Amino acid sequence: MIKKQYNTINDFLEDVSFKNWALQNNGTDINFWEFWIANNPEKNELVNKAKDLVLGVSFNKDLVSKEKVAFEWKKLEAKIQEKTKTKIKAPKAKVIFLRKFSAAASVLLIMSLGFYFLSSTAKITHKTNFGEILNIKLQDGSDVTLNSNSRLSYYKNETRRVWLSGEAFFQVDKKIVTQAKFWVITKDLSVEVYGTSFNVSTKKEKTAVFLEEGNIWLKLKNGADKKMIPGNYISYSAEENKILEDKNIFNPIIKTSWKDGSLLFENLSLEKAMEKIEESYGYSIVFKDDNSKDILITGAVPITNIDICIKAIEKSTGVLIVKKENDLIISKK
Amino acid sequence: MEKLPDKFLWKALKEGDLNAFSVLFESYYPDLHSYGLKISKNTALTEDTLQDFFLYVFEHKQNLSDLDTIAPYLFTSYKRFLLKVMKKNNKLTRTDFPEDTFVDLQFTAEEIMTEQETTIFRNKNLSVLLNKLPSRQKEAIYLKYYSGLKASEISEIMGINYQSVINTLHKAIKSLKEEMAIIKLFKL
Repeated sequence: MIKKQYNTINDFLEDVSFKNWALQNNGTDINFWEFWIANNPEKNELVNKAKDLVLGVSFNKDLVSKEKVAFEWKKLEAKIQEKTKTKIKAPKAKVIFLRKFSAAASVLLIMSLGFYFLSSTAKITHKTNFGEILNIKLQDGSDVTLNSNSRLSYYKNETRRVWLSGEAFFQVDKKIVTQAKFWVITKDLSVEVYGTSFNVSTKKEKTAVFLEEGNIWLKLKNGADKKMIPGNYISYSAEENKILEDKNIFNPIIKTSWKDGSLLFENLSLEKAMEKIEESYGYSIVFKDDNSKDILITGAVPITNIDICIKAIEKSTGVLIVKKENDLIISKK
Repeated sequence: MEKLPDKFLWKALKEGDLNAFSVLFESYYPDLHSYGLKISKNTALTEDTLQDFFLYVFEHKQNLSDLDTIAPYLFTSYKRFLLKVMKKNNKLTRTDFPEDTFVDLQFTAEEIMTEQETTIFRNKNLSVLLNKLPSRQKEAIYLKYYSGLKASEISEIMGINYQSVINTLHKAIKSLKEEMAIIKLFKL
């Protein structure tokens, strides 16, 4: 804990550990502040004032659904595309040196220059459906494996800055000569990379990053930086403005096996395992009884073939799984 | 502290990056939607104006100034945009509408969380007390605890300095606490 002066209310409000204490979030901070308050009774009034401000009024937020936002975005995107279609102008290109060529040849060249100009700034998007995995080789030599129901996009002239929603495994090529960095940007954070391999997943209102080798920096949306070393697994939610998980994973295959087409479970409850299945295949999971949720499962299931996947889970847990429209219904045998 | 992703997004948007704009849209739409709904109490109007507003932002991207944090700009501009439309609609229907950009937010009982461990207020009447606060205090409370903005961002939106935001919030919480204490007293 940093020993510093707390003289004004702002000193408390800007202190992360103070906030953690007020919200009873972090054991170490709670202990520290309880000790501090006992030893600084003259600051009690200020502490209470700051605590009130941190806690404030708790609202039940009624935010629009993700589907609604996606729908509204599609609407807006269509309007934007409609407008830009009518506005596209021929790109300006300096062609003075072309005078030595014949007119026909220069027209041809201008056209190809124009094509080059347009294509170099064009946006490229790779999309996967449920139960689909895609291997992408970027122009700079980096390899990306895109998990199911995910989207990766970048500009053709700037392939070392990519936007991700969903999950992807990156093997970034070092640019020894230019020392150029590689960026992965999600809604919660951006990952700053210089040659390494790591996994980024943006499922369920958070972004989780697992570093397999090398080292990377996370720049969280709240402005904080976080350095990761191999084996680190960190998940962060911009919405909740906090790091949800920060741990070491000793068996990296658990986090990255999906890129080879299988999900690995190691003593995972069936409930948690089925969440993964839900993410990969897009089925909704229905448990007929609560007991089945707690069955532990260890083993590997494929993520591109739902029927084999169901059979494997049935075999290792002894439950019955029925596929019905968009649901997977789980019951005791 | 600087917000890197925000800064990136904004820069990319200014360069016409539709993908950056979609990230921006996805991250701010829900909060702006709630904010618009709170001001206008009209879902259709909120959603229409949000479409027009985001389209306006994209079309005028070249004129946008460099920003480190986007939230204050979006909240302020959208509020102005929405109020303009509301004013126009009201002129057509010839009802009274305040001339300045005065907003009086109202809270409902359902919006207040009372079961959480770390909450100061556990009274279902809190919404009634909240609604009695001066409108500036209500707006600060809303932006801070509903939209989850930082005091520095709220100061930009409300056009007051950082310390005034803290004071306004504290005044509001303090009077809520006092009112609450009085209610409790009477119940005994």
